[in-house]
Amino acid sequence: MYNLQFRAGNALAALLALSACDQKVATPNTQYGANPVLPAPQQYLLPPMSVPPAVGWNQGQTPVVSASLKIRAFATGFEHPRMVYTLPNGDVLVVESNGPKAPIYRPKDYVEGQVQALAGTNAHGGNRITLLRDTKGSGVPDVRTIFIDHLNSPFGIVLVGSDLYVADTDAILRFSYVTGQTSITSQGVALTDLPAGPIDHHWTKSLTASPDGSKLYVGVGSNSNITENGIGVEVGRAAIWEVDRQTGLKRIYAAGLRNPIGVAFEPQTGKLWAIANERDEIGPNLVPDYLTSVRDGGFYGWPYSYYGQHVDVRVQPQRPDLVATAISPDYALSSHVAPLGMAFSQASSLPARYRSGVLIAEHGSWDRSPLNGYKVVYVPFQAGRPSGPPEDVVTGFLTQDQEKVQGRPVGLAFDHTGALLIADDVGDTVWRVSTAPMKQPRPAS
Amino acid sequence: MDRNFSTNELMDRASSKRTIALISRGVLTLRPPPEPLSRSGSPLHPRLIGLGAPLLIAALATDLAYANSLLFQWENFSIWLLAGGLLLAALAGLAVLLDIVLHRITGIHWVRFSGFSVAALLSLLNALVHSRDAYTAVVPEGLALSAIVSVILVIIGWRGWSVSARQTTNPIISEEAQ
Repeated sequence: MYNLQFRAGNALAALLALSACDQKVATPNTQYGANPVLPAPQQYLLPPMSVPPAVGWNQGQTPVVSASLKIRAFATGFEHPRMVYTLPNGDVLVVESNGPKAPIYRPKDYVEGQVQALAGTNAHGGNRITLLRDTKGSGVPDVRTIFIDHLNSPFGIVLVGSDLYVADTDAILRFSYVTGQTSITSQGVALTDLPAGPIDHHWTKSLTASPDGSKLYVGVGSNSNITENGIGVEVGRAAIWEVDRQTGLKRIYAAGLRNPIGVAFEPQTGKLWAIANERDEIGPNLVPDYLTSVRDGGFYGWPYSYYGQHVDVRVQPQRPDLVATAISPDYALSSHVAPLGMAFSQASSLPARYRSGVLIAEHGSWDRSPLNGYKVVYVPFQAGRPSGPPEDVVTGFLTQDQEKVQGRPVGLAFDHTGALLIADDVGDTVWRVSTAPMKQPRPAS
Repeated sequence: MDRNFSTNELMDRASSKRTIALISRGVLTLRPPPEPLSRSGSPLHPRLIGLGAPLLIAALATDLAYANSLLFQWENFSIWLLAGGLLLAALAGLAVLLDIVLHRITGIHWVRFSGFSVAALLSLLNALVHSRDAYTAVVPEGLALSAIVSVILVIIGWRGWSVSARQTTNPIISEEAQ
């Protein structure tokens, strides 16, 4: 009996040591770019986490931008805005959405639900798209209508000609759009179904169209962190699908991307790029989320491995044949930043130094302590490839002491003037970032 | 031959010559007299431990099933069994206090108490291990913890689920034929 007590004492001591552990975590800048430093994976009793409660913005408060930029609220009072999209006539669409109710399969699911509620990610989503119109060009919209209502956890949106595509969590819907329309009441036509419930762990479906408009590309996230819901529910997931716009026929364009929550074509080269959220719970610096060009037929590792051939022992049985083919992504953004939105900036009116790369919204997560992300960064590109470390563009979503969350950035788009719009799903606000008038005096308008 | 005697019978027989003779020859042994049942009833905690322990032991079976099949649903069974066992262990801990306060038990059998406590604490660790995702939620630490807890519970539970210093079952006199 003493022996058993001794064992228990040791185990408990180990538990306390682990949870109180104040390990030094390498800073995010060791994990930027093509060759991030990847520490050895750990298996935790309590994974390191930090849950800053969501408090929203006080009147007049805004995120922080550098002196060359200015930021103000474009519109407020949304129901969990996730995506912004600008129509050719300058109208701005705001997708208000959240995931379907997550089933509780394990006690952990319940605990995580409570944690997420505290972090502000469980708020009710509007399941609709709101239209904003700035008829006076004042930078503040004066028309606001419900554009499309009664959607099912929508996320991605793209207009091709007069066809507006909305990616609900379970299908791509097509709506006929006439320029200037402020509301669509007709039922959308399903172009194709997408992998959805009943689990629907990563529920967002990102969407973009090929430059010639013939194909749609849909990012479909995995149905688990790392196959804890069984490999059977991962069919068609953790992949980017290519959908023929005329027929709705689809195929997997690339696989093994755990949650490819942003897809976009790089304007200079016309190549498809994606941002993806990598796996959790093997360390504060594992696994770095990434930005990558997407190869047709490419396999990017999930679930079996990450960054090429770094095998994840949590996945059994393993697939050495697939691991051997796994592509290492192009550009690490560092760990647990949770990139959720991307916009190539060539067409923007931001200062010239922000106009030849991609802006990425890092939603931040509670899976890491210290926190990482909670900002919008700029990754410069040269000749169609990333050419430097990410730079902070919009910060201040966390309070200065990092104790509370005021907002979290998600979808990015440029309005018709080239200013950056940011959907903030905790602040329930759309922010507008434009060039500050200070250095270049603006002509009176 | 085993015979059970009630307390009254025992008192009556204690004076008989035959009984004294049997005791002196070591044929009849006397167990300690039972705890007087308090007015508030018999102890509560053995019932709760007796409900919770099988859940923790069953988790070993579902862990083995997972390790052999790699079917994730067995791991889900394990964590729910552990959660149920831990809930009942917590209630049992409160019940021990209640049993003491209400004089349902007058003393603690510390070896048994410690054994059950260690099993509960190891199961708490085990629940954390089982809350990992996929394979390492079970193999190897989860499986090992489930096995250790099961062995402790079977050994201690073999003689019932009470932590009372005295037996709470009916008094037994065993009369053995030579």
